[in-house]
This record gives sequence, structure tokens and C-alpha cells, in this order.
Amino acid sequence: MNGITRGIRNAFRNVTRTTALVLILGLSLGLALAMLVANQAVSDKIASVKSSVGNTVSISPAGARGFDGGGTALTETQLAKVDALAHVKSVSESLSDRLTTDDTNLQSAVEAGDLGQRFSQRSGQGFSIEGGGPMGGPSNSSSDTGAPTVARTFTPPVTVNGTTDPTNLSSGTQGGGTFTLKDGKVFAGDSTENVALIGSTLAEKNNLSVGSTFTAYGTTVTVVGIFDAGNTFSNNQVIMPLATVQKLSDQVGSITSATATVDSVENVSSTTTAVKSALGSAADVTNDAEKAEEAIKPLQNIQSIALYSLIGAVAAGAIIIFMTMIMIVRERRREIGVIKAIGASNVKVAGQFMAEAVTLTTLAAVIGIVIGVAAANPITKMLVDNSTSSATSQTMGGPGGRAVRGAFGGVQSSVTNITASVGWDIILYGFGAAILIAIIGSGIASLFIAKISPAEVMRVE
Amino acid sequence: MIEVIDLKRNFKSGDTTVHAVNGISFSVPDGQFASIVGQSGSGKSTLLTLLGALDKPTSGSIVVDGQDVTKMHDHKLIGYRGRKIGFVFQNYNLVPNLTALENVMLPMEFAHMPRARRKARAAELLEQVGLSADQQDRKPGKLSGGQQQRVAIARALANKPKLILADEPTGNLDSKTGKMIFDLLHDLAKTENTTIITVTHDLSISGKTDVTFTLHDGALVKT
Ligand SMILES: Nc1ncnc2c1ncn2[C@@H]1O[C@H](COP(=O)(O)OP(=O)(O)OP(=O)(O)O)[C@@H](O)[C@H]1O
Ligand SMILES: [Mg+2]
Repeated sequence: MNGITRGIRNAFRNVTRTTALVLILGLSLGLALAMLVANQAVSDKIASVKSSVGNTVSISPAGARGFDGGGTALTETQLAKVDALAHVKSVSESLSDRLTTDDTNLQSAVEAGDLGQRFSQRSGQGFSIEGGGPMGGPSNSSSDTGAPTVARTFTPPVTVNGTTDPTNLSSGTQGGGTFTLKDGKVFAGDSTENVALIGSTLAEKNNLSVGSTFTAYGTTVTVVGIFDAGNTFSNNQVIMPLATVQKLSDQVGSITSATATVDSVENVSSTTTAVKSALGSAADVTNDAEKAEEAIKPLQNIQSIALYSLIGAVAAGAIIIFMTMIMIVRERRREIGVIKAIGASNVKVAGQFMAEAVTLTTLAAVIGIVIGVAAANPITKMLVDNSTSSATSQTMGGPGGRAVRGAFGGVQSSVTNITASVGWDIILYGFGAAILIAIIGSGIASLFIAKISPAEVMRVE
Repeated sequence: MIEVIDLKRNFKSGDTTVHAVNGISFSVPDGQFASIVGQSGSGKSTLLTLLGALDKPTSGSIVVDGQDVTKMHDHKLIGYRGRKIGFVFQNYNLVPNLTALENVMLPMEFAHMPRARRKARAAELLEQVGLSADQQDRKPGKLSGGQQQRVAIARALANKPKLILADEPTGNLDSKTGKMIFDLLHDLAKTENTTIITVTHDLSISGKTDVTFTLHDGALVKT
């Protein structure tokens, strides 16, 4: 029996009060922990959004965006100027092209569908058009109308992307997604060989595997790897070294899209301006940073809401335990006087009360951790959904080019896709906060304890 | 030997000053049983709190074994109270959520007595004051007033004090139980050579003590 065990026992002297206190305190700690988790999840997300899209500048020929619009290709000489700019870490370049049935034996893995039919009939662009006889006639819905339409069957073309950064799918005419190598290897960015990475669906359609060959631009190209981008558009393309495509397609020195990586997010907007003035009217220069900033803004609001709630909940907990300790000290005035009269020091008495407070808050911490763990994800989701839904409709409203849409659409969906993970650190923080507020609460109470005179015991109530 | 010299304790409340203890001098030799009597408000309890170092006098000194208690530092006073003094109160003042045994062990813990010896000594003392083993494990709420006061006496004796101070120890008890408690204290004073100073209203008790001091308005009345 010592002060600590007495303190622990005293915590259960009034079971009703202890239960009520532990529940209330547990609730406030649980809220604090949930807010802490939300805050962490949101900061992690902000950091990853910033680092993934925040520091690049997209450059494309003026008036061109992928295969939409027109324009004149950029040159390597122009892009060398960009690479020379301060803050530009690297420039990845690509040249997009379409293979026609004349220069490849590859068949697209994507069916035309309603959209493809409509585009081909309205634009009349130089898509690969096959004469469709009755035998090979289309079996799609547009011909079911029975109208004597000219049988023009459109097959989506196979895109080829010559690039210096083969694993980056967010530029040019690529469909975005995350590059995952399924088989084989990735060629070097500065390769000049006749090699290619083939999207998984395109490979399947054409029975290609690592080591197989196919024909492009009338030249035999060897498949060195198969990749999966997680989306059908990206998986229907051929990725080849930039130099190879430039050479085979007779466009040496031409670039249809480039991405400059800036050393830090802070320098993106100044670098965008610098790139614009370096390239003049030849190029359209955009960056995702500004739009990412806007996507992040609601997250930052959530972060501060979570932080204030966290502080508020911890403060509420500290006040609750402090008030309770004051109440208990008042209640046990005489008892404190007695044990002082029979030889206990102030420190000894205060230690006993501290043990009592720590017992109460530790119990509350257990409940708080259970509540916090259970509530962390729903609370984070609720906060994020509520405050990003309005922002999403705003920022997604305007028509964006595909490159921007691809990258930025990814940002938007990933902003709302937050999972709060509860780790051991949260449990440690929970107990840490519990012990901290116990020490603060009983520390202040001990000032009152010190004031109680042992002479009080002589008073008969 | 306990010697009190011109002891004063004033209480200020607003403009008026109450001279609760107003220049008291007396001495009690070791092992004597002294009683203090006097009307309500005459300063008996106040004198006892000063003797027990629970409160500081306005002036004067209390010399116990050649040491002036009134000049001791606060942290030394804690030890003095715990080891040299035993208190017995009118309303027992046991710690309600500790058993009789644990209550008696409490002052031994504060005096840093080895843990192993505390329990044995506490049980021995409780037996001495007449509590059965079953009663020793009960909390105060489940003991009668007389039994609680016996526990309080055992607690007061825990650290073998030089001086036991009792403030109306029989005040809440019927006269028969009161007499038993009083006899218990009396026997202890003789066998343990402990000095006992008790405040009482009961003149039949005060008549049996070695010496009786009568207080009136904070001062001793010559008898
Ligand atoms: N803390 C205090 N503050 C102010 N006045 C006090 C205080 N303690 C005692 N007094 C006053 O000192 C005087 C003596 O009080 P004390 O309690 O010593 O009397 P007592 O002889 O023990 O009386 P009783 O027999 O009723 O217990 C009383 O007038 C009382 O009001
Ligand atoms: Mg009194």
C-alpha cells in the first residue's frame, strides 16, 4: 500500500462519478484523436498532391493539344532553352504520332463504339478508314437504323509516343494512369534503338510478348516490355524512344509535347512565365500547380478545422479533469488534513492525487482510442467530402485540354480519396495526451492541496 | 518533558482579533497524563493544534526534548508530526476508504518504516486496543464509534510517539464506552511511558489524570 495504489483505489471511490467522467473524457480524447488522424491524413494528402503534380510545367505547340487543334511542332533547339532556365530540373520530351494501316501491322485493341463513329463522321480527319464491305460490315448500332449510309468503318488508331520519359503517362497524347511494367524492361530515355513498350490490351490483341516484333513505319520494331496503365486508352498505345520515332517518322528534332520539372512548387509560377517568354508564341505553356493549389485549398481548411478541434478537445479534456480534481480535493479536505497531520508531505498527498488523475485519464484514453480509431475514417471522409464537393464543381467546370484534364482529374479524384490510417503513434499520442492532461489537472489541484492546513482536522463538523 | 512558554495564537477576522491562546505557560514531564478542561471557545483545541505543530503560534515557544518546535522548518515539522506526535480526534478522522488495518499502517508508511513490518505492527496494535481480526479488515463505515476510536488510538501509537494529543476523544461516545477508551489511553501512558495531553469536558475523567489544566478565554486558570 502506498500513495500510488491509494490513488488508483481512490479513482473508484465514487463509481458513478468515475464512469461519467471517464465517458466524457474518453469522448473528448476520442474526438481529439480522430481530429489528429484527420489532420495527418490531410497533410499527407496535401504533400503527395504537391509533390506529384505541383512542380511541373506542360509545354505544347501553340494551338495543339494532343491530336486536337493544329499548330507546328516544337523543336529540340527551343526546348534546350527551357532546359537552360533556372529552377528547371529536367525536361522530358515526347513526339506523338498515329500509325496508319499503311505503316503498321498492329491492330487497335479499342472498338470504335458510338463515340468513334460520331467523331469520324463529323471530323473527317485522317483516321485510318477501312472500306467496309457487306462481309466485314459494321455490327454496331449506328448501322441498325437501316439508313443507306456510306459504309465507313472507323477503327481507333494505334498511337505511338516517342518519349524521353517512358514511364510518365501524363503528357502528350497519353491517357494518364500509373505505369506498371508487367513484363520485360523499360528502355532508356535517350535510346535510339527500334524498341517499344506495348500497352497490355494492345499486346493481347496482337499476340505480342517480350521479344516479339511488329512493323511500324515499315520498320521492324522489337517489343522490350509490356505495361499496364490501368486504363484502356493508355493500354492501347506504343511507347518508343523519342529519337527512334523522330527518325522513323521523318520528324527529326520535332517535339509535340514536353514537361519541364521545376525544382520546387514555389518556383512553378515564375518558371511558367520564364518558359512562356523563352518560347514566345510558338508554344502553349500551362502548369497544374495553380489548379492543384485550388484543389488543396479545401484540404487546408480541413486541416485547420481538424487542428482547432484537436486543440479544443484536448483543452476540454484538461478542463474536465482539472474541475474534477478540484471537486475531489474540496470533498476530501478533511481527509487531506488528516493524512498531513499524521505525517504526509504535500508532495506525498499530491502524488496520490496525481495517481488518481492518471488512473482516470488512462481509462478515458482506452475509451478515447476506441472511439478515435472507429471515428477517424468517417470523420475524415465527412470533412473532406463536405468541403471539396463545391470546389470540385468549380474547378472542373471549364473545358480543359486533355493533358490538363488527365493530370488534374487525377488530382481531384485523389484529393477526395483520403484514407485515414490509425497507427501505433496515434495510440501513443492518446495515452500521452491522457497523462499530460492528468498531470496538468492534478498539478493545479496540488496547489490547492498545499493550501489545506492540517489544523483543519481539529474542526468538528 | 514538554515545556510551553508564553504561547499566543491570535486569529484576525476583519477588524477584531481573537486571542484564542493568550500567553500560556506550563510543562508536562514525560509519561504523565494531563487533561485540559475549559468552556467552549476557551482555546483548548487551538492549544492542541499548536502543541501538535499543525499550526504556528503568533508568539511563544514549545520545547520538546530540548528542541523548539515553533522554530522548525516546514519539512522537518512533517517528520516531527509523523514520528513524535500521535493524534486522536473527537470524530475519529479515519480515512474512509481504507480498512482499519490500512489506516493504522498509514503513519508508518509516511515515517518510512520498512513495508514488511508495517502490517504486523498494525495488527498487533489493533489487537492491543481490542479489535478482532475480522474487524481489522473492515472500513471505518462498518465499525461502531467506539471501535473507530480504538483504531484511531492504534493509529496514534503506530510510530511510538513521545506525545499523544487527544481532542475530546470520548466526546462522541456513550459514557461507558468513553470510560473504556479513557482507560485504554491511561494504561498506554503508563506502560509505554508516553505523555498524553487530552482535552475533555468530562470532569470524572479529568479527576483521574495526573494533572489538569483549566483554560478560560485562552489563559490558564490557577487551580
Ligand atoms: N481558524 C480560526 N479562525 C478564527 N477564529 C478561530 C479559529 N479557530 C478557533 N478560533 C476561535 O478561537 C477561539 C478558541 O477556539 P477553540 O476551537 O480553541 O475552542 P475550544 O476550547 O476547543 O472550544 P470547544 O470546547 O467548543 O471545542 C474561539 O473563539 C474560536 O472562535
Ligand atoms: Mg475544541
